[in-house]
Amino acid sequence: MTSTSTRKFHKDRGLVTRMYFTMFMLGFLYAVFALFLMAAGMQLMFIGGIVGIMVVVQYYMSDKLILRSTGAKEVTAEQEPALHKMVKQLADRYEMPMPKIAVIETAIPNAFATGRNPQNALVAVTTGIQQRLNERELQAVIGHELAHVANRDMRVLAVANFLVTVTSFLMTMLFWNMLFGGMGGRRNNNGGGVMMVYLVTIIVYFIGQLLVLALTRYREYGADHTGAEICGDPGALADALEKISGTVNNIPDKDLRKLQTANAFLIIPAALKGEGSMNLFSTHPPLEERVKRLRELEQRMRYGLR
Amino acid sequence: MGIFGGNKTPKNDWSAMSTVIKAEAKLQALGEITPSRRAGVIYRNDESNSFQRDIKIELNDVLYSGEGSTKTAFEIEDDDRGMRWIVLEDGNFSDLVSTVYTVGNAIGMNDGADGLLAAVFELYFTGTVEDNTYRSGLRTYWIYRYDRKAFYPFVPTGENEGERDRPAEARLGQDLRKHGLAVEKSLTEWMGLWGIPF
Repeated sequence: MTSTSTRKFHKDRGLVTRMYFTMFMLGFLYAVFALFLMAAGMQLMFIGGIVGIMVVVQYYMSDKLILRSTGAKEVTAEQEPALHKMVKQLADRYEMPMPKIAVIETAIPNAFATGRNPQNALVAVTTGIQQRLNERELQAVIGHELAHVANRDMRVLAVANFLVTVTSFLMTMLFWNMLFGGMGGRRNNNGGGVMMVYLVTIIVYFIGQLLVLALTRYREYGADHTGAEICGDPGALADALEKISGTVNNIPDKDLRKLQTANAFLIIPAALKGEGSMNLFSTHPPLEERVKRLRELEQRMRYGLR
Repeated sequence: MGIFGGNKTPKNDWSAMSTVIKAEAKLQALGEITPSRRAGVIYRNDESNSFQRDIKIELNDVLYSGEGSTKTAFEIEDDDRGMRWIVLEDGNFSDLVSTVYTVGNAIGMNDGADGLLAAVFELYFTGTVEDNTYRSGLRTYWIYRYDRKAFYPFVPTGENEGERDRPAEARLGQDLRKHGLAVEKSLTEWMGLWGIPF
């Protein structure tokens, strides 16, 4: 295998294009929405201010908040020498400072990373994932998590979520406003207007939510890709994903002979694959698809193609 | 695969199917796999197709009289779902693979490509699987799907549809991929074949 320890990661161009398009759509949606609200006479600064403070707190405290809410315990190099060494090696390859490491005491296999930038990153793994994966697979998982940090995914999603949070906040306020006619008795002269604003808010919220979910999925594919490049072993993450998600259960009950008869009539399902409506609501892309992409990347890397 | 960055995935049946020879050899050297002498080709039998109607004569021709013929023994078996099995037997694994390919190719070349379902190889597996249980001399089938041009392992545990050893299949699938076999990427396509006649 050739050396892959260069800082510049090979980007999946289609993915990057879709990602930027989604971000653009999101920005566009909220710009139009802000104009609409101003035209309707809403006080944006007030709501934006409150939500802004919430998000900033979350953004800067995320590592501490997550440590507290998940029961993760930060570990030292003495407590977890092997894990420390592994994270250190990967961080070096990303050319980022050594992140904090935490372990969560649970049998459920999982791992995550957080932190607004590489200087404030935290990587956490559960004891369940440590037990279940071998070294190569665990390295791939941590490589994926560090890729989120290297790609600044926290920042991108913080901004995207900020806009969605503003909308949901506004939605709640408008709802109570309509029920009780608050805000200085403007109800009588502005009842229909509020209703209108409320409906538009709901629509914007819904579309915004879908765009954020799409963006999250793209970042997830991106982290798969970056992590695989850094570790030089896309198959390892695919193996790990299969192992911890119990995808073994995806192996079907069906007999191959049945497929042949059914397949002749199935023209539409093949066309519906990909970005179906089911996918729109999930934050992580379907595992099958991630594994498939990783296996393809593995093949390309094995044969030295890009 | 060359410097020009050509085929990343095999495009024809032979380049996909022949990956099984090397993978089998490597796993046999590791003591994980022993081949049996048997393999088969399953296709949807079509009586209006003259080649398929005279399959016995045609295969005798193809397998015994041609230059470089492997002289592999074959049998014909029909199942209750309108499928026909050509069961082949040969002690030399790479001969067995090329014969399986030849049979499938002959059927395909004679207007039977759409009815070709799968080629199946029988092998025995010994090793520890994903849930840390040990299997010794476990009978496994490596199914090659013509429509996907890829293999996957199949380990039935009974005669009924759905009865299969998934942890063993997953483990074997990983190993086979690691050793160069063209393995079907999508697990949902790993459909079984219950009641294989060998």
